[in-house]
Amino acid sequence: MSKELEHSFVKLLEENQNIVHKVCRLYTNNQQAHNDLFQEITIQLWKAYPKFRGDSKFSTWMYRVGLNTAITLYRKSKRRVNTQEFDMVQFKIKSEPYDDTEEQQLKLMYQAVHQLNDIEKALVFLYLEDKDYREISETLGISEVNARVKMNRIKTKLKTILNP
Amino acid sequence: MDELELLKKDWQKQDNSYPKLSYDDIYKMILKKSSSIVKWIFIISIIEFVFWSFISVAFRDTESMKHFRELHGENILVPIAIIGFGILIYFFIAFFKNYKRISVTDSAKALMENILKTRRTVKQYVAFNIIYLIVCFIAALFIEFDKNQELNDHLSQASANGEIFKFYAIFFATVFIALVLLIGVFLLFYWLVYGILLKGLNRNYKELKKLEI
Repeated sequence: MSKELEHSFVKLLEENQNIVHKVCRLYTNNQQAHNDLFQEITIQLWKAYPKFRGDSKFSTWMYRVGLNTAITLYRKSKRRVNTQEFDMVQFKIKSEPYDDTEEQQLKLMYQAVHQLNDIEKALVFLYLEDKDYREISETLGISEVNARVKMNRIKTKLKTILNP
Repeated sequence: MDELELLKKDWQKQDNSYPKLSYDDIYKMILKKSSSIVKWIFIISIIEFVFWSFISVAFRDTESMKHFRELHGENILVPIAIIGFGILIYFFIAFFKNYKRISVTDSAKALMENILKTRRTVKQYVAFNIIYLIVCFIAALFIEFDKNQELNDHLSQASANGEIFKFYAIFFATVFIALVLLIGVFLLFYWLVYGILLKGLNRNYKELKKLEI
């Protein structure tokens, strides 16, 4: 493939890499797995790039490829199971001065999201990224109504995990 | 406030807290090889096609085949071989068509369906081969009993000695063990591909399907 194509792709991905990091954050538990998944998503994006027509935004297209790789193509290795507490720790996320209860609640929320299954995580991810139900349904290949119903169920499920 | 809304607010505030990979880091990544399940499925499927084609070719030139030719079994064996080859071509084309259809830019559900369809083609091919081998086996037995004078002499001798039961018992036990081995090979492939590679995919696909009920 031409150098020009390589250059434009790497440039675009460099600018939009946060999307991939966010997918990895949801679907992995440790740094090694994060890097592996990032690597695989990058390869899949690159392989699909020649067919990227630009009729959707590069970022929109990235959501789809990123999630498809995390849900379907990526092989999770058992070696990578790790109990390390990932969020907050890994990215040294500096929260604004929340009050303690809110910070505690957020921490629990992130842990609860990690307990969801792959499909539920995908819905939550797109929701957190402020995608509308039309885009969620198109990305996953389900109807808009079903996406809404599932989202409501996830909210209930998260509540149950948080308040057992 | 809804917990998820709270999370969303926090999530969107964190855009600066992710690692920043440089242009060179990303460039190095695109030069590496994929280790996706689609790649593994492709490799394993090709191995299965080669393995089963090899099995049928290997059987074709053995001593026992020459023996069948002497017994004039061609009338049965040649059509079986031709049908077998035609079916191999059919499955191979179907496999490639399905494989080409796998696209990471499809919706999650369409992607999963295309992967499963590709695997199903190979699975059907393997199942076909098992049946095919059993049919050949039965055809061979039929020819033996019908035309092999030596075998028929053995049979009459065994029957004269009152050992006809023992003769048949050994005979059918051998056939049974051969069949068990064949099915074992089939199950091994099945376990290898479905058990290891497609476990997660199947689970996620079921989860998506469940949403439609």
